[in-house]
Amino acid sequence: MSNIEEKEQQLRATNHYLYYPDEKNVPPYLAYGFRPIFLLLAPYMIISMVLWGLVWSGVLNIPFMENILVWHVYEMIFGIVTAGTMAFLTTGLPELFPGFVPIIGKKLKNVMILWIAGRVSFWFIDVTGVYLSAILNLAMLGWLIWFAKDAVLDKLQRHASLGYTMLALLIIEAWFFASMAGIAKTPAMDILKVALGASVILILLAMRRVNMEAVNELMEDKGIDDVYVARPPVTNLAIFSVMAFTIVEFLYPNNSALGWLGFAAGAGILGITSDYILKDKVIINQPYVIYLSLIFILLGAGYALMGYAILSGEFENISHFRHLITSGGYGLAYLMVMIIIGWIHTGRHLTSNIYTHLMVGLIVVATLMRSMIPYFEEYSSTLYMLSALIWTIPFMLYIKQFFSFLMAPRADGIKG
Amino acid sequence: MKFALKILKDFPAFLWSGWGAVASILLFIALWDSGNQVYGDLVLPSPLETFKTLHAMLNDANVIAEIKTTLYRASVGFGISLLFGTALGLLAGFFATASMMSRPIVTILVGMPPIAWIVLAMIWFGMGDETVIFTVIVASFPIIFVGALQGTRTLDGDLKEMAKSFGFPWHMKFLDVYFPHIFSYVFPAWVSALGMAWKIVIMAELLATSDGIGASLATARSQLDTPTALAIVTIMIGSLMFIEYIILEPIKREVELWRD
Repeated sequence: MSNIEEKEQQLRATNHYLYYPDEKNVPPYLAYGFRPIFLLLAPYMIISMVLWGLVWSGVLNIPFMENILVWHVYEMIFGIVTAGTMAFLTTGLPELFPGFVPIIGKKLKNVMILWIAGRVSFWFIDVTGVYLSAILNLAMLGWLIWFAKDAVLDKLQRHASLGYTMLALLIIEAWFFASMAGIAKTPAMDILKVALGASVILILLAMRRVNMEAVNELMEDKGIDDVYVARPPVTNLAIFSVMAFTIVEFLYPNNSALGWLGFAAGAGILGITSDYILKDKVIINQPYVIYLSLIFILLGAGYALMGYAILSGEFENISHFRHLITSGGYGLAYLMVMIIIGWIHTGRHLTSNIYTHLMVGLIVVATLMRSMIPYFEEYSSTLYMLSALIWTIPFMLYIKQFFSFLMAPRADGIKG
Repeated sequence: MKFALKILKDFPAFLWSGWGAVASILLFIALWDSGNQVYGDLVLPSPLETFKTLHAMLNDANVIAEIKTTLYRASVGFGISLLFGTALGLLAGFFATASMMSRPIVTILVGMPPIAWIVLAMIWFGMGDETVIFTVIVASFPIIFVGALQGTRTLDGDLKEMAKSFGFPWHMKFLDVYFPHIFSYVFPAWVSALGMAWKIVIMAELLATSDGIGASLATARSQLDTPTALAIVTIMIGSLMFIEYIILEPIKREVELWRD
């Protein structure tokens, strides 16, 4: 019985820890890419959501930002996408490409400082100016693409789609800043809608890989003898329809064809969940499969309802329904990545408990409260406020459940 | 019984796996909608308008009566083909001479274009039910006949031998040895014959009768009523897809598992 086989029995996702830089005295919170990100992201989600909630319900005024809505959308997409993608890539790439050395210690600290600088420059943008914020935030995304370049240049092109999507996001972000600085003429909000489409595509691409790892890990743990495969053509159909929706929305907003494309994107994304139905065994009763399906159900419902709003001529509802994608699918995807990596890559088995149930459930509740505002207009200000507050609770629970894991070395004694 | 239960058990999963198909149909509808924006309502009405017309039509008693007429013709024609095609095909498959003899005749039947049959049937039967039903029969019969013939021709001799040497009673021989094999050939033939029958019935009605969906389509054409024409097309495609994909496809999948 060799050493590697023994490890195989503990956890599948440990191969990549064979290549670990030998930097000395690395504190646990800098021992792997995802650790500092999650330690910062969870509190940041809470603080910024509370602030936005207060802004929207009119309790708080932010005098230093002229165009609040645009900046809100910008920060929720790009501020968080860089953090989430970084966690995914720094953890996932060493696993997808054996031999890829993970980034840890000092280098990791410097990148995190860059991300924090980006956030600070964002909140003080009226003091520091658009250009500084643009440089810091673009540098962060640019570094990520540089970090992932081997994935794009890989001969087999297995995971290159991730790299190309990130490159597209970088261009879109630069375009956005150009528009805010007055260089480009395109309205900033239109650019942000394109950015949302691109990040949904990034999420679909990333979730396909997360799904494969998490669901198969789970089945191995529970001794379910079957294989789960997230079929690429299913994801590609969803991506194609999201892409079509995004492009048509940019060129012809509120066009009736866009309504049908919304329905198509919804159906395409829901189609991804059909992979959970295996040939022999039932796994759709497993909590993690339910959690992960909810991401696609929320994203799909968001696109389908936007399509419905367009076809029925209720254009003012589109932005409400879009929150099924943003607060819902997008938020839950981040949370699931945080939870799954939080268990597996701190050397633990994928576990579901009352906290994980609550985290997922509360995101769904908050999303429904936010997106169904058109049907409960009379309570709208309460719903704005409450949904923002409820949306933050999962991240508080995350702190409670996972911060001790993130601050301590791996439970199984492996480095990282 | 076990077979039916398995189909029912797998049905929700089968339905859920259809999201991809729904997505591509919706993408196609989006393309249709842009076609409407380019060419205008007269040439190509928008999908939304078509579906609204469709909704209104389905609430109209006259339209329902037309649909019933068409359904009656299609089911009588298809039923007769099913009965005789299956019986004769199975029988022909048991005898090498009969199958040799029937091959060229079937080729003639398949090769003759349905439109030619309609002309002949109009001369023979005049304008009415019989013409339509006859055309449906001649179009769908050969498909079923060939399927059934293949079913019995390809029966595995070794299995027959085995059943014989184990001394199976006749009903076991039939249900457990012959039936699954034959059915796996006959059933897909039924499905394609049904699709053929449904297409032919509309065409025959359009040319040879004054009632039924086909005739409504002819009226819509002469009045340049494109929304109604498209709504009728949607009814035809919708009903065929429902029968083929929702009802028959799950059965077909289970049946064809036998072939491996």
